[in-house]
Amino acid sequence: MNEKPILAAKRLTKIYGKKSLEVKALDGVNLEINRGESMAIIGKSGSGKSTLMHILAFLDTPTSGVIEINGKNATKLKTRQVNRLRNRRFGFVFQQFFMNARDTVLNNVMLPLKIAGIRKSERKRRAMEVLEIVELTDKAKTRANDLSGGQKQRVCIARALVNNPAVIFADEPTGNLDSVTGAAVENLLFKLNKEKGITLIIVTHDADLAARCDRQIYLKDGKIIKSPVSSGVKTVSPPGKRGVKKGGRI
Amino acid sequence: MKLLDIIKSANANLLRNKGRTFLTILAVFVGSFTIILTSGIRTGVNSYIDTQMNNAGGENVLEISSSAMSEAMEGSMMGGSSAPKKYDPSRSPISTTGMAITGEQLNKARKINNIESVSPFIMTRMTSMIPIGVAIKYAVGVNGEKYEFDVRSSIDGVNLDIREGTKLDNQTKERQIAIGMDYVAAFGFKDDKDAIGKELTIYVLDRGRPGKLVPIKAKIVAVLNKSILTMSGGSVNDSLARAMLDAASQNLQDNFRQMYTMATAQLKPNLSDAELDKIKDQLKEIGLSGMTAEEEVGMIKAFFDAIILVFTIFGGIALLAASIGIINTLFMAVQERTREIGLMKAMGLGRSKIFLMFSIEAISLGFWGSALGVGVAYLVKMILNPLAADTFLKDLPGFNLMKFDLVLLLLLVALVMAIAFLAGTLPARRAARKDPIEALRYE
Repeated sequence: MNEKPILAAKRLTKIYGKKSLEVKALDGVNLEINRGESMAIIGKSGSGKSTLMHILAFLDTPTSGVIEINGKNATKLKTRQVNRLRNRRFGFVFQQFFMNARDTVLNNVMLPLKIAGIRKSERKRRAMEVLEIVELTDKAKTRANDLSGGQKQRVCIARALVNNPAVIFADEPTGNLDSVTGAAVENLLFKLNKEKGITLIIVTHDADLAARCDRQIYLKDGKIIKSPVSSGVKTVSPPGKRGVKKGGRI
Repeated sequence: MKLLDIIKSANANLLRNKGRTFLTILAVFVGSFTIILTSGIRTGVNSYIDTQMNNAGGENVLEISSSAMSEAMEGSMMGGSSAPKKYDPSRSPISTTGMAITGEQLNKARKINNIESVSPFIMTRMTSMIPIGVAIKYAVGVNGEKYEFDVRSSIDGVNLDIREGTKLDNQTKERQIAIGMDYVAAFGFKDDKDAIGKELTIYVLDRGRPGKLVPIKAKIVAVLNKSILTMSGGSVNDSLARAMLDAASQNLQDNFRQMYTMATAQLKPNLSDAELDKIKDQLKEIGLSGMTAEEEVGMIKAFFDAIILVFTIFGGIALLAASIGIINTLFMAVQERTREIGLMKAMGLGRSKIFLMFSIEAISLGFWGSALGVGVAYLVKMILNPLAADTFLKDLPGFNLMKFDLVLLLLLVALVMAIAFLAGTLPARRAARKDPIEALRYE
């Protein structure tokens, strides 16, 4: 692979609490994520998977270790640059949606562009574009609160997409959805991954969802371990081909 | 995020909880409205006074009164309702003699350099608060005890606070007196009712024969409630006041009989301050005090400004309370919007922008509150000014009760916005410091 990984973590450690009570949320994690890859971070609650995602997304800082973006050390970036990075290069999808429930779908989708300081007409144009991708153009003027769960998550994906990001971080994106709508949201995410080449980092409990990713990272007590099941699906599987992994205790 | 977007978002956020926002704005409004209204009246009164001053052109006129007058006026205001004091021969009596200007003093004043002429005010009727030219040594009731006693004239139209008895009659020849309630027992009456119709003897100094006293009998017609207006003594009707004055001056030569409460001196034009001061000093030597119209107006203005200041302080206190309301409102907003703040931070909105957003919410509260204050004050002015001009300011044409100084109003609005900003810094800081992960986890 000639191309440098879009995100790389080196000897990542995160310690919470004071000396006697300290908890190692991450313990020497090494990880490389390539451009266009889809990766699942899997682990029990408390395994450190959310912490890892937060640190990769620059929402949190590691106690020690280095994060590289395109091969460059990004640990020393200034707050301003980090904010810009999150705004321009990253998209976020959360389990609980986090939308302004009383605001319209359009306004919710435009929020990252508003933060970026883009003028209104442009905001609207781009928001309508991404709403078309998630097939919710007709709901643009609807209040976010009046949508179904699946629609809400699609709005969130549109919002994550609107800044044309390089990476989308999804934290249990289907956790609040039933299997049918969940599948639709999954399909949408992987479609974006394939068609737009957006790198996908998904934190999940859902074995099926994890199996659809190119690569799975298992975390236990802050360390990356080998697959807890025998069927070994750590290597890159061709995109689109379903992973074999099933029935993990995750 | 662009500033205009931040301002729009801040105002949209305020509209999310309309009731709370309205109440906070109302609190700001009360404070600013009070200040705007009082400052409006102040501007109105001052501009009227200034116009009058310019019309009068009173540059070279000096108001002359006796030096003792002003002191006595202050004294009577301060020591209003003190208890009856037993007569003490070693103390000098409360003398109102010195309060008058004598003809002799006026003649001396006429000789002062730079004074062109002096003309006294001649009162056709006794209208001054204190009968000028009388010194009461003491008064005696039914028990023979001597008490210090001071009186003032009853003025038609001024209602005395009567406990018992009837009003003083300025038309009758009967010598009537109304006494303060504390004197009922002091003079040996059983109660208020008992005192009515009884006789009181007032001993007045004969100014023509030093040391001699003239007794004057007066009929008690009323007992007055204690108030700052009842001096340590009572009120007298015109015929009693005249009798006292006659008794005090019966043995004086005509020249000394002349008593004036006030006089005006025409000065040479374009005198310097030093020359003016010199005239005042010379007047002081002969027991008079001179005041230019400007100084006199200055005194009125100072008194008026003191009242305005009190109201402005009230307004200020209301604003202080309102700013606490702003703090409270914003703290609640930060609490409610914790997740939203977390989300926006995750999406790359910087601390300073979050701080700015909440600060602008605070500033907006201040702006709308004070703008509402300005608006309602204008409305009140439009209604009240013509109303005042038709009623209690009828005799003062050209007197607009309220007048607004645009610069002052803008300054006030800016000041209220600044106060609101300061109040908002606390919650805004809390919002800006929120950790996005913690904020997103917040339930």
